[in-house]
Amino acid sequence: MIRRNLWSKLVLIVVAAFYVLPMIAMARFSFQRVPVIKLGWSTLGKNWTIESLVNAVISDRFRQAAWLSVRLALLSVVLGLLILIPTTVYVHVMKRGARSYVEFLSMLPYVVPPIALVVGISGAMKVVGTWFLASPFSLVPFYVVISLPFTFRSLDVSLGAIDLKTLVEASRSLGASWSRTIRSVILPNMKVGIINASFLCFATVLGEFTIASLLLKFTLPAYLAESQGNNPQGTFSVGLLLLVVSSLIFGLMNRLSKRKGQAFSGLTL
Amino acid sequence: MFRQTKSWLGLTPFTLFVAIFLLWPTLSVFRSALQPVEGSSKPAMLEAISGQYLSAILYSVRLSAITAGLGAVIGTLVAISAVSLNQFKGLRNALVGYSAVAANLGGIPLAFAFVASLGMQGLYTKLLSVIGINLTDLGFKISDFSGIVIVYLYFQIPLMTLVMLPAVDGLKATLKEAAASVGATPRQYWRSIGVPLLSPSLLGGFLLLFANAFSAYATAFALSAGSSKLVSVQIRFYLQGNTITGKSNLGYALAAWMIVVMVLAMSGYLGLRRRSERWRR
Repeated sequence: MIRRNLWSKLVLIVVAAFYVLPMIAMARFSFQRVPVIKLGWSTLGKNWTIESLVNAVISDRFRQAAWLSVRLALLSVVLGLLILIPTTVYVHVMKRGARSYVEFLSMLPYVVPPIALVVGISGAMKVVGTWFLASPFSLVPFYVVISLPFTFRSLDVSLGAIDLKTLVEASRSLGASWSRTIRSVILPNMKVGIINASFLCFATVLGEFTIASLLLKFTLPAYLAESQGNNPQGTFSVGLLLLVVSSLIFGLMNRLSKRKGQAFSGLTL
Repeated sequence: MFRQTKSWLGLTPFTLFVAIFLLWPTLSVFRSALQPVEGSSKPAMLEAISGQYLSAILYSVRLSAITAGLGAVIGTLVAISAVSLNQFKGLRNALVGYSAVAANLGGIPLAFAFVASLGMQGLYTKLLSVIGINLTDLGFKISDFSGIVIVYLYFQIPLMTLVMLPAVDGLKATLKEAAASVGATPRQYWRSIGVPLLSPSLLGGFLLLFANAFSAYATAFALSAGSSKLVSVQIRFYLQGNTITGKSNLGYALAAWMIVVMVLAMSGYLGLRRRSERWRR
């Protein structure tokens, strides 16, 4: 038993090191002005500065990309919720039988990789005309699509825990109007699901590179790809910032949802 | 009958949305993929599984299979270790929490982290050379096959840990005690009880990891500055070079094959997941 615990500890230590070490190297590269070749005991504590991050963050290119990414993320959250909240509520209250239909459609983005989707987008939208893809905000509906699997799941799970149909019938039979029922019964019960779905969608959009890059939209990841060559230090520090932000979001979600083992990868796809 | 059709009406906005922004682009991939490439009578999808185009698909399949295999084995070991160290609750929670985070990290920032670690000027490249291991002399490059495998493992291992934890938790202590009380050695226990019970989750997890690696694009793109041999990165090349080469249908064909591979892998995963969940009830 003791021997086995030893092995278990060894496995966990090695894997934990694998998780942590790349982040340390990235942080050192971002914040220490010492080339790797000159790194040694004597230079270990020298020239640590966050200047590169500050300079990158106040640059026009960064602000332009960040502002676009944040707007895209917020719009995607809003559009996604506008479509999914009524659909999920409808399925739970009116038509339980259609749940597997909606679930099936919401899982489909998993089998269409972003790179294949963007190929199809440029093919399909040729018919509509180029005006649609000219605006960077044309990305919004596609971002809603690629985050469908986890946004639907979040909302669905939050409603699965309660008998919404009975609650709604009770509210209606007590004389509450539909709008009152939605405000006082349905939405409060969905709160956790809505928060989860919003953050997951937000984080997905912030990190999405494939579609934006092939449609030539200048989002944050596109900024990272572009300025990697001429300002590696500043770009890496922005990349680290992005990693920290998405880590915080996913960590928070894991806390909130408490459903261990149910996480489904999103950003990496 | 009328009520039946009417009650489906509430799903119209959602259905239309998915149809326009997902199904229509997907169909248009297949429509172009079934048309011939310039100067050929074969559909592009057939052209894409011959010669150099096939090698891009096979390269991706091989890479995805290797990262999925390694990720599945290591991720499962992590899950078993975490469960067997159950008395250290904090450790386990930290590990599971970070797994949920790391499984979703990826894209360009992750590529940066590994360039800073194992790139030509990487911190650990330097540290290893101090103790006499020269990665460059060994032919290791972060943008090559083995480099991409290591980077992908960063999100593959935690994803597998998340998939396996419920299954490993389900191997109840009573099973082990029962096996021991009838005289089974730990080896016999794992061979006859542990592995058969875990195998649907293991295989399912492998397929999920395979699909996850196969569809990835940004990380490999950033590691190789757009020159990777992976099929996802190659598609960009055919799509942007379409006016010159007249071969844009090949880009559609490669994308169509990607979707086919993804459908196979994901339906296998979902089928196996259903089976392993049945065991746990």
